[in-house]
Amino acid sequence: MPAAIEIRNLHKSYDDTAALCGIDLTIKPGEFYGLLGPNGAGKTTTIGIITGLVKLESGSVSVFGKDIITDYRFTRSRIGVSPQEFTSDWFFSIEKLLIFQAGYYGIPKKDALPRVEEVMKKLGLYEKREEKIRFLSGGMKRRFMIAKSLVNDPDILILDEPTAGVDVELRRMLWEYLNELHGKGKTILLTTHYIEEAEKLCERVSIINDGRIVTEGGPDELIRSLGKGSIEVRLTGWQERDGRRLDGLSFAYEPGEGDGKLIFSVDDPEKELPHVVELVSRNGCHIHEVKITKSSLEDVFVSLTGRAINE
Amino acid sequence: MNWIGFKTLTMREITRFFAVYRQTVIPGLITSGLYIIIFGLTLQRRITAIDGVSYTVYILPGLIMMNVITNAYNNTASSILQMKLLQQMQDMLITPMSNVELSLSFIIGGAVRGFINGLLVLLLGIAIVGMPVEHPLTVLLFLLIVSWAFSSAGLILGILAESWDNIATMVNFFITPLIFLGGVFYSINMLPGFWRTVSLANPIYYVINGLRYAVLNVGDTPFFISFSVAFIMTIVFTAIGVGLFHKGYRIKS
Repeated sequence: MPAAIEIRNLHKSYDDTAALCGIDLTIKPGEFYGLLGPNGAGKTTTIGIITGLVKLESGSVSVFGKDIITDYRFTRSRIGVSPQEFTSDWFFSIEKLLIFQAGYYGIPKKDALPRVEEVMKKLGLYEKREEKIRFLSGGMKRRFMIAKSLVNDPDILILDEPTAGVDVELRRMLWEYLNELHGKGKTILLTTHYIEEAEKLCERVSIINDGRIVTEGGPDELIRSLGKGSIEVRLTGWQERDGRRLDGLSFAYEPGEGDGKLIFSVDDPEKELPHVVELVSRNGCHIHEVKITKSSLEDVFVSLTGRAINE
Repeated sequence: MNWIGFKTLTMREITRFFAVYRQTVIPGLITSGLYIIIFGLTLQRRITAIDGVSYTVYILPGLIMMNVITNAYNNTASSILQMKLLQQMQDMLITPMSNVELSLSFIIGGAVRGFINGLLVLLLGIAIVGMPVEHPLTVLLFLLIVSWAFSSAGLILGILAESWDNIATMVNFFITPLIFLGGVFYSINMLPGFWRTVSLANPIYYVINGLRYAVLNVGDTPFFISFSVAFIMTIVFTAIGVGLFHKGYRIKS
């Protein structure tokens, strides 16, 4: 089966500024994929090219094996998009707008009505169906944006910052809903400023910086391979041995703040803990307290991009 | 061809202006009614008939065209600019509709508004001053062509415009003067030679003159010339508008 989205050597410049410098990306059917990067890294441009909002300069993008330019009717009909910025409208109710949106995808009104009703109910918009967008709260607007991306029943859902500016309760609700959609076999491509969101939801993530993919993998895999961790122990029997080194350890350690404290720097603290315990015991010390610290995906992100994700 | 998408967007454009008919349909009728009363019924006593037609009836085809042009043009220009400013255009561009389908839907929306406004002023003229309609089918065809032409012109400006000010500037500095100088209120034969020649360079003159012939069977220029100018404008404006949209000029980055 062809990839849900396959991007090859994608380049894009605005005036003389390079926005994308050779992006390669493969998203498998049914995958929950995250695209992480600081502002201006190229996430929205990449999404814009996939969906037809931004003109491609060089490279290729295919959706289920079909080219996004020559087969745009097929590729766009398979995708639902929730852009980062809110759409507004002065004239029509949200129900009407959702029916229009389905129509643009070639879905006749009689088929669109039950679908629109289902999506509005699922996202808690049904009571507001007669309202115009400009009278909705920020959270309701975000629900509307997601509803709009679902009315054509897409195989691929592209969500650009879907939980930006929403409260914790709605964020949890949306996460649950996205997981439900993923469980039904939808391929989801997500960009987010909330690393926790990517860690919780995505099976694989790419970190993009300055128009290049810096790394790619499962969140746990990236933390394991690129993150750092530590094991902090408080020992008895250590002060007597002050000035000596523990023998037989393959990783570095240094004294911590306080009596009898040592901090061991390790890549995978959970894996290395038994070795630390064994070697400390072998050196005649007893462990009173253990504290494990692991890198988060955010730490990995910062170490790779040199920037916090919100910058 | 995505017929359902095409029909949906076209209907959206039409229902959009009907939803605010107090802004898009009624004002043209009120303004034209006032023109008929003030210019026609009061000045008619002091102005002799032109080409054998009373002054009030003579100015009516010009008033109809004024409504057709401004409504068709404003509808498409404001719809496109509004879509750009309110982020609605992105909802259009990601759909499986071709650029030609999208741009034609916008043009048809504006053309329908222009046509309906023109038709209503025509009916107003018939009702208030008993205006005769000499060539009814030609009138309908001509109204349709001119509506389409200026709706396409609105598409071009909507694409080029980046603010409401751009659209207002174009209307206030170009369209309105060209309409008034196009012979709405007079025959160009009443002008001195130089100004008569200048008027012949104004495309809107031919549009008004053509409708005057279709409605009243009088005119300063043969109908086929007026029709040809209107037809050429329709083709040229449509080609430029659809071409710019297809290229994504100021629409896609």
